Amino acid sequence: MSSEVSVNQESDVKIQKKTKFWLNKQKRGDYFWAYLMIAPTLLGTIIFNIWPLLQSFYLSFTEWGAFGSYSWKGIVNYERLFNEPDLLIALKNTFVFTILSVPLGISLSIIVAVLLNQKIKGVTFYRTLYFLPVVTMPAAVAIVWKWLYNADYGLINYVLSLFSIQGPRWLTDPNLALYSIVLVAVWGAIGYNMVIILSGLQGISTTYYEAADIDGAGMFVKFFKITLPLLSPTLFFVTVMSLINTFQVFELIFMMIGPNSLVIENTQTVVYLFYEEAFINNDKGYAAAIAMALFLIILCVTILQFKLQKKWVHYE
Amino acid sequence: MSSKTKKRINPNKLVIHIILLVGAVIMIAPFLWMVLTSVKTFGESTQVPPVIIPKSLQWENFSKVFTTLPFAMFYWNTIITTICKTVGQLMFCSLAAYAFARIKFPGQNVLFILIISVLMVPNQAYIIPQYLIMVKLEWLNTLTALIVPGVTSAFGTFLLRQFFMSLPKDLEDAAKIDGCNHFRIYWRIMLPLAKPGLIALAIFTILWSWNDLMWPLIVNSSPSKMPLSAGLASLQGQYITEFPVLMAGALLATWPMILMFIFLQKYFVEGIALSGTKG
Amino acid sequence: MKRLMTLLVLLLLVLSACSGGSQSSNQTDDGGSDGSGGSGDKVTLTYAIWDKNQAPAMEDIANKFMEAHPNVQIKVEVTPWDQYWTKLETAATGKSLPDLFWLNSANIEKYAKGGVLLPITDQIEADGVDMSKYPEALNSIYTIEGENYAIPKDYDTIGLWYNKELFDAAGLSYPDDTWTWDTLLDAAKKLTDPANDVYGFAAALAGQTGIYNTMAQAGGFIINDGQAGHDQPEGLRGLKFWTDMIHTHKVSPTQAQMTDTPPNTLFESGKVAMMFAGSWMQIEFNQNEYTTDKVDVTVLPQDKQRGVVIHGLGNVIAQNTKHPDVAWEFLKFLGSEEANVIQAETGTVIPAYEGTQQTWIDSNPKFNLQVFIDMTEYAIPNPASIETRAWQQIETDILTKAWAGELDIEEAAKQAAEGIEGILAKEK
Repeated sequence: MSSEVSVNQESDVKIQKKTKFWLNKQKRGDYFWAYLMIAPTLLGTIIFNIWPLLQSFYLSFTEWGAFGSYSWKGIVNYERLFNEPDLLIALKNTFVFTILSVPLGISLSIIVAVLLNQKIKGVTFYRTLYFLPVVTMPAAVAIVWKWLYNADYGLINYVLSLFSIQGPRWLTDPNLALYSIVLVAVWGAIGYNMVIILSGLQGISTTYYEAADIDGAGMFVKFFKITLPLLSPTLFFVTVMSLINTFQVFELIFMMIGPNSLVIENTQTVVYLFYEEAFINNDKGYAAAIAMALFLIILCVTILQFKLQKKWVHYE
Repeated sequence: MSSKTKKRINPNKLVIHIILLVGAVIMIAPFLWMVLTSVKTFGESTQVPPVIIPKSLQWENFSKVFTTLPFAMFYWNTIITTICKTVGQLMFCSLAAYAFARIKFPGQNVLFILIISVLMVPNQAYIIPQYLIMVKLEWLNTLTALIVPGVTSAFGTFLLRQFFMSLPKDLEDAAKIDGCNHFRIYWRIMLPLAKPGLIALAIFTILWSWNDLMWPLIVNSSPSKMPLSAGLASLQGQYITEFPVLMAGALLATWPMILMFIFLQKYFVEGIALSGTKG
Repeated sequence: MKRLMTLLVLLLLVLSACSGGSQSSNQTDDGGSDGSGGSGDKVTLTYAIWDKNQAPAMEDIANKFMEAHPNVQIKVEVTPWDQYWTKLETAATGKSLPDLFWLNSANIEKYAKGGVLLPITDQIEADGVDMSKYPEALNSIYTIEGENYAIPKDYDTIGLWYNKELFDAAGLSYPDDTWTWDTLLDAAKKLTDPANDVYGFAAALAGQTGIYNTMAQAGGFIINDGQAGHDQPEGLRGLKFWTDMIHTHKVSPTQAQMTDTPPNTLFESGKVAMMFAGSWMQIEFNQNEYTTDKVDVTVLPQDKQRGVVIHGLGNVIAQNTKHPDVAWEFLKFLGSEEANVIQAETGTVIPAYEGTQQTWIDSNPKFNLQVFIDMTEYAIPNPASIETRAWQQIETDILTKAWAGELDIEEAAKQAAEGIEGILAKEK
């Protein structure tokens, strides 16, 4: 009996050792390829982005004079961060802006993308039209929207006047300006997200829809039970990127409102504040602290999203 | 059945058309304005209430763009740098994305978050350090300075990772048993299946490279190294901007993008047909 | 797809080889400074500007200089205004500024005190350059702590532009040099017709083209030795000129209206009859077919005294230049009568050199451009300090509230002065 057991044990151990060795070889091959494949991107990112990011971090502890001279100031800039009313206002504006424009933008983009994925006549034509905002020169976008919103000569108020409604001052009313810009942001996001979501839709095998058709499923059922779940990896990307980008909104505020407007306080966002401190007030150290604070917020939100992935993102 | 389905489909499709058309009008309004303004006179472009349709078409705005700027040179620079950056990104981003998506290796989550964390800081924070790197490498006033920092991208890596992750889990099992290494799996199996993602990335990279303004202006000075975006910006003066000429220039700079999108879309449509045979 | 990829990769390799090649040829081109300083060797200078419209004139000047100095190559490089300052600052940080470039009053002190400019006081003295040929106010702008840093290039002043058609319709005589604040207010009242959407005067908040002029006319100052003049009686009077127009006399559109639609646009559309605007606007008003025959300009009205802001660009040399002597020769030439005449002929700017302004005036006989030259007599330099932009932003932020009617002008002036003085104090 004991010899049988010991023979079995021996061969078991041999098999285990062989499997371990094989696994190790496999793993080593895996690791080799993995690191090799990410090497260029990692290298590029480290040299051109991480290193400058670290420099920014260092900068946030300094007072930066003109042209590169700086002196160490410790956490002075960060202390200022917590006491600066401007920053709190900017944070509030940024949050309101993001909470409004991201969900709205993504929902509309999904609807548009799904509609543009149908086999209808002229779908290429429509897609191109919806893509035009993405290629339109930002200066032109700002000018047109400013004209649409112009309280005295603009199109929106003109149309309202036909119904005897006096239109509000869209861009100069402190209570309204931010929301007016949310609309422009949503408008701009649709074409941009449409491209990504369309490509995600392309990756969904039509066999699912065919099976659903056979089962007699209607449009909405197909959308919620097939499209959305299979689209979720793409939607995850869109959501994360939209949040990252919208938290950093700046150009839109700068072009539509600008530093000389009476409502800039009601619309300035965190990155706008960063720009103001870095390039107008020339306090690059403090600006770097602002950037770091924002970075931390966005990082936390993003990591949270990655952790929540398991709840709604469906990878095959 | 065919007549019944035909009757049932039409009202739905009509509704879709209406919704899309209304949306399209709102989408193209600024672009329409660009086109109309490009043929207005200077005076017409500054009036309030705005002049929508110009009295006569000022085609000389377009020729003015060519006579005041070396547009051909800008085109050339933009095309070269864009092609290089796009090819670079398609290669490097897809390689990294594949690794992050399909291989388990230590530190992958941390490294991935590290890479996309660079997207969380405003661009302006990078400009001076990146410029100083160019100074050290002696790449000032070259096309290389425009290309090399742009061949890797956190955005692209993230985008393609999602695509690779949405492919069936067991796809590479057969190949692994056959003894294929990861590169062959990537090249022969994964990459073709991620075509829609690659197309989307190509569109965005081309777009971004085409319009990138701040960086080219900071690292380059001579007109012979300028891309289209920089040329356009020089039409905006300190006090005066001749909007009709600027819009004409913008249209001249933009139509390749529109063409590119229409062209790349064909691959999209192909995707629908292909995906039926996949999986 | 695979073949496409291979082709593209090959293309990439080929192209990178090409750009690598042009890069190396560039280095020998831009360098010209491979240790050689000998007189026979080719010297290349870069000259950075921000106005594409002036590039032809600058290139003309450069060509004339190169004719006389065959071993020198000058490259004129245009960077658009919006990006010019970021690029310049970045280059200064990397010690790679162009050899010569334009500076304005807002930045001269920052760059001079930052040690990135070549002082030229000694050179001026050694070569006997006659600085009295340039307006005194300009020289004072570009002299920091007793050292000269620039030779003035051009200047601009502010004028009272008016719409002749609207004046004719109201039966009023055109503004002239007899006008005072009261005369202007009178005319503005008669020209204001809210029913027809027309206002007499565009009282938008502005510094160089607005409050600085009236503060000077009221006998006040803007900044002086760390103090701000906004809440002094004279300065305040200069500010009230504007806010009264909007709130008390109602002869101007509201600040909100002028934010939606800039004063220039309103003026060019015949919605306001008068506005303060710079001499540089003559090009735009001339090119705009709606204004070209309808508008003209005169001197600013006077209050207790006459006052106007003068500003001008200066040509400077970078401290990091590898050819300070050649650069100085070119700088001298840029400031010479010959170069100024070339500038004047393009009609784009008023040249700084004494006596060359007539060409500019003649470039457009439709407008009474002479007034801009006449005003230099009593002109004050555009106020500036090391961080000009910083205190001007606070000034704007606070005064806007008064313009918008949210704050009393007295209170706003006090807060603005405090804010400005705070920034100036940090500069010390």
